[in-house]
Amino acid sequence: MSHTTRMTRRELLAAAAGLGAAAWLPRIALAQAGTLVAATFPGTWNEAQRTILKPAFQKATGASVTQSIILGTDQVSRLVAAKGNAPPFDVAIFDSPQVLDAVKQGLISEFPVAKSVNYKDLLPPFQDKWGPKISMQVIGIAYNPKRVKTPPTKWSDLWDPKYKGRVGLTALNSQLGIAFLAELNRLRGGTVENFDPAFKALRELLPSVNAIGANLGAYATLWQQEQIDIAPYNFNFVQTLKGKGVPVEFVVPESGAAGWDTSLHIVANTTNAELALKYIDLAIDATVQAAMMEPPYDVIPTNRKVALAGAITQTLAKTPADLGKIRGFDWAKLNPQRGELIERFNREIRT
Amino acid sequence: MKFNASTMVLPLAALFVACFIAPLSVLMALSFASEQGAGDFTLKHYLVFFGDRFHLSILVDTLMLGVKATLVCLAFGFPIAWLCARAHARWQSVLIFLVILPILTSVVVRTFSWIVILGRQGVLNQIVLALGLSDEPLRLLFTQTGVIIVLAQVQMPLMVLPILTVLSKIDPNLGDASRALGAGEWRTLWRVTLPLSMPGILAGGILTYAACITAFVTQTLIGGARLIYMPLHIYQQAVGANNWPFAAAISVIFMVAVLVVVGLLNAYGRRFERYA
Repeated sequence: MSHTTRMTRRELLAAAAGLGAAAWLPRIALAQAGTLVAATFPGTWNEAQRTILKPAFQKATGASVTQSIILGTDQVSRLVAAKGNAPPFDVAIFDSPQVLDAVKQGLISEFPVAKSVNYKDLLPPFQDKWGPKISMQVIGIAYNPKRVKTPPTKWSDLWDPKYKGRVGLTALNSQLGIAFLAELNRLRGGTVENFDPAFKALRELLPSVNAIGANLGAYATLWQQEQIDIAPYNFNFVQTLKGKGVPVEFVVPESGAAGWDTSLHIVANTTNAELALKYIDLAIDATVQAAMMEPPYDVIPTNRKVALAGAITQTLAKTPADLGKIRGFDWAKLNPQRGELIERFNREIRT
Repeated sequence: MKFNASTMVLPLAALFVACFIAPLSVLMALSFASEQGAGDFTLKHYLVFFGDRFHLSILVDTLMLGVKATLVCLAFGFPIAWLCARAHARWQSVLIFLVILPILTSVVVRTFSWIVILGRQGVLNQIVLALGLSDEPLRLLFTQTGVIIVLAQVQMPLMVLPILTVLSKIDPNLGDASRALGAGEWRTLWRVTLPLSMPGILAGGILTYAACITAFVTQTLIGGARLIYMPLHIYQQAVGANNWPFAAAISVIFMVAVLVVVGLLNAYGRRFERYA
């Protein structure tokens, strides 16, 4: 019997579709004993934790750690999806709003404070039974000093006609996007219940907007390529980009600094709770935090034994008491609206 | 021991059921649930999608983006395939290697390098400004034109390879016969080569189309957040807004829409089966 293998178009398509699907499968980092899987944020966080926390952890425990870059909202959805099975990572990194969601949905376990060596050294506002705050993130205005000669001083400078076509924004899937919108709303007289003032201001800003980054990676690229000259940004991301030679500076606007806490958590049902505890404990260790405060990371320390220094004291806070003055957001009321805000934002910005 | 085709296909079929049919069924079921975890049946997510021009226009834009990018891909891909097919054997392997080369680098890397090329300070704009073709940098990044240019380049191999396969199978005597009967090069290309290569063009077209409309990385990095296409829309609904059932519903709608387009192309392709 002669048999020729002739691929029909449909078979070819199916094969191609299979190949495509394989390429899209997420890199599955299954938690195994002896290997900790810790989530980390893109940008500064991933770089500082990879170069400082990871070696410290490996030295202290002899175990290895895989650091996986995932946004806070992504982590929440992945943990929800994995409920009832082994979680995809052992340590979660969240900004203030995700902690609320994660606690509500039972995604993280309480931090064993008694077993932690460094927890007692945390400044009081950074202690939390669900997991220690490892740093703060502060938003302000970033600008390209090569192209913006007079540094901006207030948020409303973004609306200045001279920046037409040079302003950048980021989509609302990042914490930066939501926080900027909330701060804008507050300044324009809105309330957590009423975001109309923010969206009115956004509509007025759109003609000046050159680009809206779909994610933080793309947003950093906009600065590197000098595609945008002025935009809301995060203190640490600016420091990291500056360290890479990108022309970018950060100012706290006249209306004051606004920010939120970043914390580490032991994921519920992890089989690696001991290693996770050790990892988190090292993240609040004075030596590790002092190293992370060095440029180009300039990560704000939360351990009382680390004296504030460097760019933080020049730009944000001279004393720990100043850190307490950084305005926070009402995440309990903002969180439930996130979906609605994202959709409304998308409708407004879509070209 | 006797093997027949059906037993050999079993492992693949099992894999297909486990990794494709099963998740797809879960997705379908989820799209009809009022919220995640609820075991009820509702059409509300579908009604929301079709009742809102915002969602509908995203679907239409995505399907049209695929058409435009596929046509650009064809316009450049067919001549490349034609050159490859007619090149001397040694050159042919070099050309084919060049065609395949893009697949050997990650799509993320390729897309980021396009940002460097298309940006305001990018290579392309520096050339345009240096030549005095424009006073201001051209806006290419974050425009649909930019997305189409990049998609066409990134997906080019998917178009060229099927066309090349079909072209190299065409009996060269047919071209000679056409010329002997008095047809010029263009007439031969138009009346003989092109119809004969139609199965390849359609296969390439379907592959390119499917790849272009689902190219999440390229669409979001080059298009930015203001050009919303279905993959980004689905991602934002699922992960950003945590609205899984709605994300599932629009995934199903997107899939059906793509199947319809591919089905139409396939039906059109049957007309050319007599040539094959």
